[in-house]
Amino acid sequence: MALATTLGVTLTGVQGQTVEIQADVAAGVPGLSFTGLADTSVVESRDRMRAAMGNSGVEWPNRKVTLALLPADVRKVGSRFDLAMAVAVLAAAEEIPPVELADTVWLAELGLDGRLRPIRGVLPAIVTARRTGARRVVVAQGNAAEAALIPDIEVRAAGTLRELVAWLRNEDGPPPLACSTDEPPELDGSADLADVAGQTEAKRALEVAAAGGHHLYLVGPPGAGKTMLAERLPGLLPPLDDDAALEVTAVHSVAGRLLDRARLIRRPPLQAPHHTATVPALVGGGTNLARPGAISLAHQGILFLDEAPEFRPAALEALRQPLESGLVVLHRGGGVVSYPARFLLVLAANPCPCGSRGRDCTCAPQARRRYQQRLSGPLLDRVDVRVQVEPVPHADLLGDALRRESTAEIAERVRQARRAATERWAGTTWRVNADVPGAKLRAGPWALPRRVLAPAQASLEQGRLSARGFDRVLRLAWTVADLNGHTVPEPGDVAEALYFRTGQVESWAA
Amino acid sequence: MGGLTGTGPAADGVDPQVLWARAYLSRVSEPANIPVWGFVGDVGPVEAVEAIRTGIAPREVLDATAARRPTADPDADLDAAERAGLRLVVPESADWPHFAMAALEYAGAERLAAYRAGGDGRHRESGEPIPPLALWARGPLELASLGVRSVGIVGSRAATAYGEQVSSEFAFALASAGVVVVSGGAYGIDAAAHRAALTAGGETVLVSAGGLDRPYPPGNATLFARVAEIGLLLSESPPGCAPQRHRFLTRNRLIAALSTGTVIVEAAKRSGARNTAAHCLALQRPLMAVPGPIVSPMSMGCHGLIRGDGGLGPALLVGSAADVLAVVGGAGEGLSDGADTGTVADVRAELDDLDPIARRVYEGLGARRFARPDEIGARGGVSPLEVIRALPLLELAGLVESSDAGFRIARRTRTRST
Repeated sequence: MALATTLGVTLTGVQGQTVEIQADVAAGVPGLSFTGLADTSVVESRDRMRAAMGNSGVEWPNRKVTLALLPADVRKVGSRFDLAMAVAVLAAAEEIPPVELADTVWLAELGLDGRLRPIRGVLPAIVTARRTGARRVVVAQGNAAEAALIPDIEVRAAGTLRELVAWLRNEDGPPPLACSTDEPPELDGSADLADVAGQTEAKRALEVAAAGGHHLYLVGPPGAGKTMLAERLPGLLPPLDDDAALEVTAVHSVAGRLLDRARLIRRPPLQAPHHTATVPALVGGGTNLARPGAISLAHQGILFLDEAPEFRPAALEALRQPLESGLVVLHRGGGVVSYPARFLLVLAANPCPCGSRGRDCTCAPQARRRYQQRLSGPLLDRVDVRVQVEPVPHADLLGDALRRESTAEIAERVRQARRAATERWAGTTWRVNADVPGAKLRAGPWALPRRVLAPAQASLEQGRLSARGFDRVLRLAWTVADLNGHTVPEPGDVAEALYFRTGQVESWAA
Repeated sequence: MGGLTGTGPAADGVDPQVLWARAYLSRVSEPANIPVWGFVGDVGPVEAVEAIRTGIAPREVLDATAARRPTADPDADLDAAERAGLRLVVPESADWPHFAMAALEYAGAERLAAYRAGGDGRHRESGEPIPPLALWARGPLELASLGVRSVGIVGSRAATAYGEQVSSEFAFALASAGVVVVSGGAYGIDAAAHRAALTAGGETVLVSAGGLDRPYPPGNATLFARVAEIGLLLSESPPGCAPQRHRFLTRNRLIAALSTGTVIVEAAKRSGARNTAAHCLALQRPLMAVPGPIVSPMSMGCHGLIRGDGGLGPALLVGSAADVLAVVGGAGEGLSDGADTGTVADVRAELDDLDPIARRVYEGLGARRFARPDEIGARGGVSPLEVIRALPLLELAGLVESSDAGFRIARRTRTRST
């Protein structure tokens, strides 16, 4: 037999595509050639395969070998095809019988010593394999835990090429089934809202943001607890359902973040990039085909930008398109990649560059104004909730006098509120109140009576609220009503919504 | 007489003969024609039409109706109106806006007397101040109610962003306060006013220069349709009539007449809005104008009206919706530095509902030091969440002021008793 075929998977972002690898061994000058848009990193596998075979007790065919990676018009990158190509060559050279190959996908890098090494993005690759009807996947042991997350497909984890050859020659049994590590689900008891004294308004703002999917802006001096609050926001979001968990885990897999302790990500992730982050670090990038950035790793979770005005303007502006579409589309030399990026944005800022406040502030009014204006209108336009966070002044006085609500209690209210919103928007494309366009809430079946809207209208007339701010108040009022168990907002709900919109008019009204 | 059968587009107890005659008149006569109006007033619509059709009417009446007499077909017009959902409202209808038209009747009588005395016989191109012979209407708003609490908001088609913003803000606030907004159907100021009024859930009247089945400009067709759903489309011209230049000028007198007062938002030196202003003054209705940048050509007309250039004006300078409300609203509305408009009064009422809690929140506030909700709640004996829900209302009512450090009792209320 001079021709053999195996299967691999190539990834564009988190989208996989099955690649058919054909090896042809024919008479001629000994050598190896590739066809099918294989880039340098694929061609480099020539030496890895040859050495790995030599060190695994099989012969590299001393003839003319041609490897085709099909479809030929899709660019292939990386070492992920090493094992699939090696097995194809062995079969074409009749070192192994061809029986086990047709419905098996091979996903591993080879070391010179013949060991199988883990690759990035095994999770989406296996999802693709399963979707396209493959029956079995073979991965490196380093990927076993991650690979085992996908049900309904046989996943075997092998340590070495020698092991595989023995199996394929029927000299030994198959490598073991991959099984997930029995790690208990992530527990984060350290970050509970019950630990936060006072700060009722900020806690309520978190609750409202979590319930309605509203982006959040925290303003306050250093040490007021902005980071502490943001870290507690994921705990208020409902755990990810199966589809969302798989989607999120796939992105983290492609980013190479799952290798050690792989498990399905059930808890909404929190990403907190430093303010020196570059555009590629934030939205994704890299040579050839871009890797996911912080915003995609925050998919279905929280993107927390502390010191938001310190981020470079280009990085902040790059957030606008993903905020709009829930998706980031990256154009690179190697093609176009898109990653999911539907996150809840939490911006935090000091009121001024010097970071102190009140009488201690040494900033000129101009400087304060400029500092706030570094966050562009279009970006702030997307942010519904804004709240002032001040250091707790009389922590001892307030401290234990009041029983503080735990994250679990608030999360339960959030869950109920989200369910009310889901029922209300059933049949539309909106999932949370933040998705609903203002115009839909101003007219038609969701318009509120004048009596209820009076506080917002008066604010509009007094210039405390802009027209766009008015729409945001409407959205927030629905969320507040959902949290309070009201089927339709009441005047008090609109008033509370106003609380999270107005305040520093000069820096906010747009 | 023609075969008007069934109920027809206007069934509010009007004699079908009268309706038919008025439909005929609205077709054969240009709007605001002195001789025709005078003749109809003298002999009544049915006899006037008979005289016109048989050629025994006075010569100037026959001259004024000569062009369209051969082709006039009121039955076709009434049918077309019914198909387009229009009704014909005539002075004999219960729905006729007698109150709004009173000023036109009065000015028209004076004008007719002068015309017949031969003093000023020439027909004015800019539109005679006389009532319409009939009005074609579409929309649920009652015509009879107009002129009591309504405001004309007009201005240039080529409005600047400033003009459109002012137009929107005024219309939104006034419509929210229950004032009916009256305007034309043009781009710019007119369209902005209608849109804002509709957004506020208010009622608006769009007076068109052409037939109502032909929205002009066509780009505003959607706006026409929205106005017809909630407010009222009005025109003196029967269905199918093209909007010609002089019809815009005669149309302007209706906007002035149907409005308690008229605001000119933006107008260039030579603008149609000045014509509306002239009608407004001729009807002795309040004329208001919005100032703009002195370098903006689109505000020159307004500044001229405020100065009283060329005998027009002086218009009252208005700088806020509250200023306008003080003119067109009920007694006392909009007077106390803009804080007592309709919705603010609503807020005060709302505060009364919340009274016990709002009062305790208020009591938890400091006079000098700004405090955050947790502290206010602790001092007033209210939960911080209740403080959060009460503070915006207290602030709107002017009882509380805020800074980024928190909230305290507003200075204004500390010096005066509330």
